[in-house]
Amino acid sequence: MGGDAAAFRHIGRRVPRREDRRLLRGEAQFFDDVPKPPGTLYMGCVRSTAAHADILRVDGTAATALPGVHAIFTGRDLAGAIKAMAADHGKKGFKSTTRDVMPADRVRYVGDTVAVVLAEDPYLLEDALDLVEVDYAELPAVIGLDEALAEGAPRLHPEIDDNVPFVTAACTEGFEQAFAAADLVVADTFTSTRMAGVSMEPRGCMAVWDRGLGALTLWSSTQVPHLLRSALSELLGLPESRLRVIAPDVGGGFGPKAHVYPEEIVAAAVARRTGRPIKWVGDRQDDFVTTTHARDYRLRLEMALSADGTILAVRNRLDVNIGAYVCFPFGANAETGGGAIYLPGAYRFAHYDYVARSVMTNKAPTGVYRGVAAPIAHMAAEGLLDRAAARLGLDPVELRRRNLLRPDEYPHVNAAGIRSDSGSHVECLRLALEDIGYEAFRRQQPEDRLRDGLLHGIGIVCITEHTGQGAARYRARGLHRVPGFEGVVVRIEPDGQVIAATSQATQGQGHLTVFAQVIAENLGVEPEDVTVMEGDTAVAPFGSGTFASRGAVLAGGAAQRASTALADKIRRIAAHQLEAAPADIELVGGRARVVGVPDMGISLREVAAIAHSMESRTLPPGDEYGLEAKAFYDPPGVVLANAVHAARVAVDPQTGRVQVLRYAVAHDCGRVINPMLVAGQVHGGIAQGLGQALMEGVVYDETGQLLTTQLLDYLLPTACDVPDITIRHVETPSADTLLGIKGAGEGGVIGSVPAIAAAVNDALAPYGAFVSRLPLSPETVLALIDGGRRP
Amino acid sequence: MPEDRIAVRISVNGVPCEREVPPRLLLVDFLRHELRMTGTHVGCAHGVCGACTVMIDGRTARSCLTFAVQADGCEIRTVEGLAPEEGLDPVQQAFHEHHALQCGYCTPGFLMATHQLLSETPDPSEEEIRTALAGNLCRCTGYVNIVRAVQAAAARLAGDAHGR
Repeated sequence: MGGDAAAFRHIGRRVPRREDRRLLRGEAQFFDDVPKPPGTLYMGCVRSTAAHADILRVDGTAATALPGVHAIFTGRDLAGAIKAMAADHGKKGFKSTTRDVMPADRVRYVGDTVAVVLAEDPYLLEDALDLVEVDYAELPAVIGLDEALAEGAPRLHPEIDDNVPFVTAACTEGFEQAFAAADLVVADTFTSTRMAGVSMEPRGCMAVWDRGLGALTLWSSTQVPHLLRSALSELLGLPESRLRVIAPDVGGGFGPKAHVYPEEIVAAAVARRTGRPIKWVGDRQDDFVTTTHARDYRLRLEMALSADGTILAVRNRLDVNIGAYVCFPFGANAETGGGAIYLPGAYRFAHYDYVARSVMTNKAPTGVYRGVAAPIAHMAAEGLLDRAAARLGLDPVELRRRNLLRPDEYPHVNAAGIRSDSGSHVECLRLALEDIGYEAFRRQQPEDRLRDGLLHGIGIVCITEHTGQGAARYRARGLHRVPGFEGVVVRIEPDGQVIAATSQATQGQGHLTVFAQVIAENLGVEPEDVTVMEGDTAVAPFGSGTFASRGAVLAGGAAQRASTALADKIRRIAAHQLEAAPADIELVGGRARVVGVPDMGISLREVAAIAHSMESRTLPPGDEYGLEAKAFYDPPGVVLANAVHAARVAVDPQTGRVQVLRYAVAHDCGRVINPMLVAGQVHGGIAQGLGQALMEGVVYDETGQLLTTQLLDYLLPTACDVPDITIRHVETPSADTLLGIKGAGEGGVIGSVPAIAAAVNDALAPYGAFVSRLPLSPETVLALIDGGRRP
Repeated sequence: MPEDRIAVRISVNGVPCEREVPPRLLLVDFLRHELRMTGTHVGCAHGVCGACTVMIDGRTARSCLTFAVQADGCEIRTVEGLAPEEGLDPVQQAFHEHHALQCGYCTPGFLMATHQLLSETPDPSEEEIRTALAGNLCRCTGYVNIVRAVQAAAARLAGDAHGR
């Protein structure tokens, strides 16, 4: 813990969550639990069964003939009512493409929405969807990267003459000389299977049109209520003042729910058209087919080192298969740009050359997913370190240690131009090695790695996490539709109760607790006395929403600003009554009192009554009525959290099964607001990375049909797959952010993917085999063993 | 598509409910749509994720794979029936104290599975806990704190039983 932790009463404590009670008692309200208004119609989507085709005919006659089925709308029917999405329009360096929310003429992936059907009952809706007939004229489809990049390949979009809407490239000066000076070059091509985010709650929404007001309310399982409202306004031509988006309880997000989806726009358009409340409940299959996928990478990485293991230069050639449309509102570079700039992390190297391309294919659109490109970028870099260590005859940890940035090298600008104010790699490495028992493990590890018929390996990796990105970073990355800042309003009601609203939207991160801790800290009350609200654009200040490990940094900072401003006003009011100077007033235990004279004070309730002119005493001259403060926070750049992950695995050489036996992580997310909740974020991230490393994968066949459409096909880790996890919190407060907070949402997944791969590399050392492809399914592992040198 | 309706008598958390339901109505939709008890969630509708887990006559079951008519004459227990009027039951309390839930969508299923486990195996090993919960998927917690919460709940329930 930081040395000044004692100065805080609530920040840094293991405060149990405010949000748990309703969730545990079955009293939460996810969008599908929100009582539906009378007259609600269920909307179902007719999905394209062809990967690339012209729509010849959509016939809903039989469907609409069913009693209780109200209507069918095709893209043509709604053509005038919805503008096309153009996430990259007007952005320099991008070739802009458009997406028809509901295509009228051409479908570009299996899952494009061809029509929507409205019915009174969800069971009836399923019957009706089965009766809709669609005729297609199939076009050649491109599925893989090489097909899409080939000369004369079918073009996905008429606006661009190739299938590459975005390329980013940079090379440090003197790169070639540095690379040429190497004693050793290690290189490999790494691929990562497509992933699905798989929040346990599938997506869904409910749109209610108020004819009298000409206003629309949309409940949606979204991470970005304000961005969704802006999109509704832009695409439907409605003023934002007459649009309200509410994200109620949301059952997991992880990034995919940070996009704006066709169903949200169509449900709103159809509610406006019909005047009826419209509800769309995505099922698991819909979710696999249409929710953004992620991580479809091929990364060719070369690393040049000197004989002593010093990294001299890294060359990165990254292609990302982003699917049929660019994700909205982020754009074509969401993952691709990250794959370039996230790669230089914990290690010191001056020379970096990258070219990263987004490539469009007839697969589902990809988008942001926890960790974005960092897990695979770090897996590739760490994988090359493992190869280099083997070639140099060095212990893999020793090689890493030689290249780690030391604390005295900060602030540091890395080879991708990313500035970081602090890092604790050396300390995290020491702790993680201690907790995993590295020295003892190595001493006892047999040369052939075999014990009880299993190959035992250990993997240690050092990673960074780009967190707390503000407006300047999003502009620099060409993500112009992301505002980048966050806002918080804190108010004390006339009865003295504290209520706050933030521009974030929570999907389980514990916002209602951590922001209450920050506010309580400044107002001298208990966290349980602070009610935090999120997700409702009618209540909350404008902001970006929840993604990219920004919540604690940005909304935490805004909460700090707003609550200190409110505390100042409370001090002025109290000082006026107590005939003291505001600077001599402290806020403790729900009271404003004179420092050193605890008996001289008034309660927050009294201050609130005065501020609302509900008693005889008056405000100090010049102060406004009410007791409310609003603040925004936009940090200067990006703040890098860091971690060292340590995994021990056992590989069965007969079956290829990989089991993670032990796991330890030492991480540093700066000032910790609530260590229990940070640990929860780390645990969950590690489990998702374990899934990516060992079992998860979206699979398309060569014609573009999605084969993994159920949880029976797409495997998630269970309680039997994830071991207990040892966590150490190292706190190096950031000098660049308010309160010194760094983000913590993604480090778990960023670290566990490379850590498990490194542990498998170690287990397979006798075979000289190295991981280059995920997931490490039994077949992949057996192929590695068979392809390697037999001991 | 007109459907015949079938009369069912189902007791939910001790309250008898009589309804006429279509034969294809799933138990989970009976709970959620007919009774407006929305604590039980649908995560996959294929019986894989366990979010819809309820107890039928004291045994856990997937309410997304069960027709309401199959539950005719049965006692159903859902998450809404676990806690006392106010507060939390010992399992819920342990989940709260150990931060064993994040988004909370899967949580009702885990609570039901934990109750079943602890009623049969009051002092489970870590392996027994993991095996018992392997039919419930959670995407947020990595199960680490869920396992710890179940261990704590077992200890608390054992202490309570001992104290009496």
